[in-house]
Amino acid sequence: MTKKYIYSFCIVICCLLVSIEANAQITNVKGKVIDKKDKDPVIGASVVLLDKDGRVIKGVASDIEGNYSLPVTDKSYRIRVSSLGYKSTTPIAIDKATINFQLESSDNQMDEVTIVGRVKSNNGSGMSIDKRDQTGSIGTINAKEIEDMQAASIDQALQGRLSGLDITSTSGDPGAPMQIRIRGISSINGAVDPLIVVDGMPYDISIPSDFNLGSSDENAFGQLLNIAPSDILDISVLKDAAATAIWGSRAANGVLVINTKRGSIGPPAISYNFKGSYSRQPGPIPMLNGNQYSSLILEEFYNAGRQFSTSEFAKQFQYDRNDPYNYYNFSNNTNWLEAITRVGYLQDHNFSISGGGEKAKYRASVNYFNNQGTTKGTGLNRMSARVNLDYTVSTKIRFSADIVYTHIDSRNLYNDFDNNRKSRVREVAYQKMPNQAIFEYDEYGNITSNFFSPAVTAQGTFINNSPASTYNALAMALAAQNHQLGERLLPKFGLRYQIIPDKLLLTGNFQADINNTKVKTFLPQIATGRPFTDASVNSAGDTDGDAFTMASNITLAYTPQLGKKHDLILFSRFDSNDSRRTGQGMFSTNTASSFLADPAVESRNNGIGSAYSSYAQSRSVGLLVSGQYKFLDRYIFNAGIRGDGNSKFGPNNRFGLFPSISGLWRISGEPFMKNTARYIDNLSLRSSYGVVGNAPRYDYTFLNTYQNYGFSYLGQAGVYSSNMELADLRWEKVAQLNAGITLSMFKGAINLDADVYRKRTTDMFYEGLVIPNYNGYTAVDMNVGTMDNQGWEFSLNGIAVKKKNLRIDYSFNISHNENIIRQVSPYFPRENNAKITENNRFKVFVQENNPFGSFYGFRYKGVYQDQNSTIAIDEKGNQIIGPNGQKVYMRFAYPSIDYVFQPGDAMYEDINNDGNIDYKDIVYLGNSNPKLTGGFGTGITLFGNIRFGANFSYRYGYDMINGTKITTTSMNGFSNQSTAVLRRWRSEGDVTDMPRAVFGGGYNFLGSDRYVEDASFLRLRSVTMKYDFSKNFMRRLGMKSLSMNLMMENILTFTRYTGQDPEVALRQTAFSTLVDNSTTPPIKTLTFGLTANF
Amino acid sequence: MKNLIYKTSLLLLLLTGSSCKKWLDLKPRDGITRQGFWKTKEDIQAAVAGIYTSLLSPPPRVGDKALTEWIFMHGELRADMLDAGLGSTIEERDMFDNNIVSSSSLASWSAYYRTINYCNTVLDYAPAVKDSDPTLTDSQLNAFRAEALTIRAMMYFYLVRTFRDVPLKLSSSAKDTDLEELAKSTSAEVLTRIVADLKEAEAVAVTSYGSTMANKGRVTKYTINTILADVYLWMDNYTACITECNKVINSQLFSMQTANGSWYTNVFYNGSSTETIFEFNNQLATGSIPNVFYNVLVLSTRKRYIASNYLLTNTFVPDDVDPDRIVDIRADNFFRSNDLTITKWGTELPSYVNWQAYRITDVLLLKAEALAMTNAGAEAIAIIEDIRLKRAAVNATAETPDPGDADGIINYILNERSREFAFEGKRWYDLLRVAKRDNYKRLDVLLDMIAGTVSPTVQQSAIIKFQDKNSHYLPIQEAQLFVDPKLVQNPFYTK
Repeated sequence: MTKKYIYSFCIVICCLLVSIEANAQITNVKGKVIDKKDKDPVIGASVVLLDKDGRVIKGVASDIEGNYSLPVTDKSYRIRVSSLGYKSTTPIAIDKATINFQLESSDNQMDEVTIVGRVKSNNGSGMSIDKRDQTGSIGTINAKEIEDMQAASIDQALQGRLSGLDITSTSGDPGAPMQIRIRGISSINGAVDPLIVVDGMPYDISIPSDFNLGSSDENAFGQLLNIAPSDILDISVLKDAAATAIWGSRAANGVLVINTKRGSIGPPAISYNFKGSYSRQPGPIPMLNGNQYSSLILEEFYNAGRQFSTSEFAKQFQYDRNDPYNYYNFSNNTNWLEAITRVGYLQDHNFSISGGGEKAKYRASVNYFNNQGTTKGTGLNRMSARVNLDYTVSTKIRFSADIVYTHIDSRNLYNDFDNNRKSRVREVAYQKMPNQAIFEYDEYGNITSNFFSPAVTAQGTFINNSPASTYNALAMALAAQNHQLGERLLPKFGLRYQIIPDKLLLTGNFQADINNTKVKTFLPQIATGRPFTDASVNSAGDTDGDAFTMASNITLAYTPQLGKKHDLILFSRFDSNDSRRTGQGMFSTNTASSFLADPAVESRNNGIGSAYSSYAQSRSVGLLVSGQYKFLDRYIFNAGIRGDGNSKFGPNNRFGLFPSISGLWRISGEPFMKNTARYIDNLSLRSSYGVVGNAPRYDYTFLNTYQNYGFSYLGQAGVYSSNMELADLRWEKVAQLNAGITLSMFKGAINLDADVYRKRTTDMFYEGLVIPNYNGYTAVDMNVGTMDNQGWEFSLNGIAVKKKNLRIDYSFNISHNENIIRQVSPYFPRENNAKITENNRFKVFVQENNPFGSFYGFRYKGVYQDQNSTIAIDEKGNQIIGPNGQKVYMRFAYPSIDYVFQPGDAMYEDINNDGNIDYKDIVYLGNSNPKLTGGFGTGITLFGNIRFGANFSYRYGYDMINGTKITTTSMNGFSNQSTAVLRRWRSEGDVTDMPRAVFGGGYNFLGSDRYVEDASFLRLRSVTMKYDFSKNFMRRLGMKSLSMNLMMENILTFTRYTGQDPEVALRQTAFSTLVDNSTTPPIKTLTFGLTANF
Repeated sequence: MKNLIYKTSLLLLLLTGSSCKKWLDLKPRDGITRQGFWKTKEDIQAAVAGIYTSLLSPPPRVGDKALTEWIFMHGELRADMLDAGLGSTIEERDMFDNNIVSSSSLASWSAYYRTINYCNTVLDYAPAVKDSDPTLTDSQLNAFRAEALTIRAMMYFYLVRTFRDVPLKLSSSAKDTDLEELAKSTSAEVLTRIVADLKEAEAVAVTSYGSTMANKGRVTKYTINTILADVYLWMDNYTACITECNKVINSQLFSMQTANGSWYTNVFYNGSSTETIFEFNNQLATGSIPNVFYNVLVLSTRKRYIASNYLLTNTFVPDDVDPDRIVDIRADNFFRSNDLTITKWGTELPSYVNWQAYRITDVLLLKAEALAMTNAGAEAIAIIEDIRLKRAAVNATAETPDPGDADGIINYILNERSREFAFEGKRWYDLLRVAKRDNYKRLDVLLDMIAGTVSPTVQQSAIIKFQDKNSHYLPIQEAQLFVDPKLVQNPFYTK
């Protein structure tokens, strides 16, 4: 419907334009166009007649002698000449019949265009305000600063660059998305990604949650990838409510505004940019070799009091030459991690052409990106093309047309752990028994080219969706397929109409977003070794998700001239968004051959859910009215109100009103500051308050829907009510209070911004809140309470030295954020459901008015070295003696479990000295929210053409659970362990910190401080060297510029953390703890880059 | 120009005005909304079918055990006829030992209440269908309501016997605003409600659906009478119990089959026999699902329960005359004596054996028990002997109580019931019903049972626990207490 209005609106505008009266008087104008210098005729110069608004009425090209002739129908017309390589003339009135033109050459004039005047800050909305007058908190980074990095995607490059923006990599695999958080998370459950705005239009980066792309992480597509970094002009981060308010309901988690490069007047500028890189993974945790592993397993069994030699799998550990097949296949020293790892390569080619004349400007670019991942079986190919066109119809009307096309082809690891939608290949490689061969040996000891994938080993078997599943990791990485194909097309049309020049401006934009994704998966028999009748064998999947989004907006900006002292901007904007998603999928298993990888092939087994389709649609509208008033260039006041409507809510709660208000006081402009004007350029105080609404993730939850059972009763189909109508689901409201100061001194030598804020989320969403189940349901989505995000940010940058041959830039930023639950529904659980008496469990509590992220467990005291040390000790340090004089030994969880600690067992601190380790002995262990995050960097430019840069990012003061340490030192099952277990307790009297090995029992890896580590780190994120070839040299080559650069990334990390990498993305709910499970760590990369401009 | 500004603002106003509301009103294309459902009698039929379906399996994407499995577990685990199998969990073993804590996942009542909610949904929304479907007659509507009322009453009867005092939820949860915090109702209140519902249903229920399968698989008037008889006996209302039993018996629609080789096949494997009054129908027809018991009871590595060894020595004793030839027809068909695998619910994968909720023998033995309690011992003994004759019960299990010895007859009935209804989820309730009668006059029934079954190490503590009558009922799950402050824990579990 909105579309209709937009169209009719455009038609109204067009009608207005056509109303040009014709004039009877006809004259003719002619003349000659010559070069000013050599007086030669200029051929093909464009001679145009313009009306009073600068709109082209008629145009001709000068002929071979430079002559032209044009009929003139109106006296008010003016005439103008332009030609490539010459300066355009200013339009002149037609006062005589013959007008000759002399054109001045425009050689080299485009090289040193410096944009004078103030930078307009851009919040992407179309309301442009001087950056220095911006009342909200906005951080901006120019892509120049980051364009040399190899980053496939712009988010990688942004890491550590802006305050309040925390970006973490989820994995070092190609195409893996980054987790972007602006000032923490404002919702504990639900949508937490910031809104991305590209060229003024929202841009979805996550796969809609209703797509059942069986194999992909919810945002594993990292759709930011689709924007080639070299096409980006600048990126702004909108942090406080005053800045985000205009974006309405989707901006509750902050906004990232990206503007792409556009064409500018000048001859065609051709640019080619190449990046090639070499990357490798940092060294893995050292694991046991085959022999060490085999002896560990036998010891585990002995300590558990179990017979191993008679068990079915004993032959895999017997190294028995009389059993040659098992001997050859199970007597190896395989390094599984090394087997699945390789060197990664990347190439990125970007070719662009841009330029334009008075009327039309263009920029077109093509990008090819290819990345071979550091884990075998992973890779990414991307082709993208972008055309940005601007056409000036007249001084009043301008329109633009942008078209972006992206094709992505990415190969990922097979997601065998579907519930969490991830691949366990790396985890399995860590745990896989090292005495097993990768490739099968025959009975004579000859290695074959077949993967050695036994259906079952001592470690177990492949089980789909199970964390206990195991398989040949290399076979899984190479033979199984998880192929994702994406096509995305984004046509966008924009119109600017100056209704009253310099006073009233109307803009309209329409964008369609066609985003189609296909995932093809196949799990061949060899990847798991399961027998052919097993449901996991030769299982093929083919899923499609097609999203079609139409977004439009209309803005009206009114800037009346109120005299020198007053500035006023009135602004209104209407947005509409319609998004439709369809998904189809098909699955089948047991196709007849491992080469029949398509589910359409008739196969043996098509179970329930082997085909599905889905359809969902959401719509939203928003109307913003805002105004900014400035008095005396010192006092600025901004207020706005936005109404939002969203189809995800029921009729009663569909609309929300969200106000915002902000102000700025420029102290440096005050008369009493006159004396300081020599060194203070700008000193301002800012403050803002605003509310933004957040809509829930799922559609149609306000309706009670009925669904079919998958079977019948007495031949009748049964229907049941599948959900509750969420009639009470309301907007989640995020109110943000921000106060900040901006100071810039010594003409840009020091630019300082500091902000404190508090973001209060009320009516916070919670998905799956437990309710009394006598209602017939166990959980419901609800607005549950109030949560705060509070913190501060500080950023400092500038130019430390600016001399002719030396320039030093610096930047530094630091932020702090904490999450606190203020008030919460009584239904909200107060603790996680971890049983502290089970191994590898940590307790998490939610306490009102306390920051969350804290976790609890036992305190680890080492290992009981002998029998005597397991005697319980009272608070005075004396051994506890029972009433009959018997020794009382330390027990675990008396009376429910009542395990008596044995020598070699892990010793936990008996906090209450009762001789019993139970829930009363758990203590605070740590908090996984960083106290400080940020980054700093410097750039040194020598002689204007040699540049060195270094950038660091850091996190400080947070604790992480080293999950890999738990699983690699538990010595509890058949999983391979790290070499740290070589110092394990073996016999009475051993003094060590590593408990004994016990198969399937014991309490040696309870959640304790043994695994909690300070994960603070400082990382040298990148080092760059760049050389620009000199201008004169270039001119001789016929090129405009050429530069080369070399860059190293993730070279050095300073940390006390003992795991593989301290940078771990947190999937945050109120109960999540930060656990490092060693996914592919950020890779170390060396990149060579080349940029040539013609 | 001013004109244009007005036009623009007018357009914008229009945009945001009335039409927006409509534009934002979206409905799902896959799935029926409540507003779009409840239009024809076929809709009611589908929703009623949904109630029955929910007895066999939780709905898709609800991670819970099937209701049938819960009925089986709650009715058997604490009694003496099962033992832990290889696949049993620690919580299940604890339950065998009567060592139950409120955090135990086995104290879950959610499956019963889920079905109750489906019943409530039908009861709340079916009447309005009359407005849109003129072909729906009052008697049709009432018949549907009777089915919903009966299943709801049956669920509450399970709840009241398992948890004693439970919240009485009588309206459907269709919206989040319908959610209520309920306190527990006393067992007496719940039972009164059950009787009232069943009485209401009895008046309007059908006696036949026109097909044998449907007559057994759906609620008929006789199903209601049977449940009422069971409820009355639980309430110690013997005369009412006998009245209800007679209604069923006198209908002459149900009879015991003769004891021959095909008895098990007819009654259980094929189901819907003349013996059955109400069964949960799994029978293999287009689109039906197998019962849940293969994994629970049969699959060799994963079965969670096996028959108790006690059955071989006490319940199904071999005949002393000719143990090889003279056998109770129930023994071999219900479990395998060599590995104690329970075979009653099928041994194949998939198994489509119906769950027998009530059979005619149940009515007969309920009547016998009521008779014994009303000084009609001779009549009671006659019923037992008749059943034993038709089941070819062996002499070794025969008892000869004096017709005036009510306790002796009751013991005999209990023993006969354990043979007749082995593994049908009834044993614990039978024992508890007898034990609690007349202010726990027969607590010895439970204590004797413990002596026979609970592991020796925890036997003493189990006996002490059973002295507290509150311990005979399961605790309310801890998590439920967190989310509803009005719920009060069974006092036994707060110690």
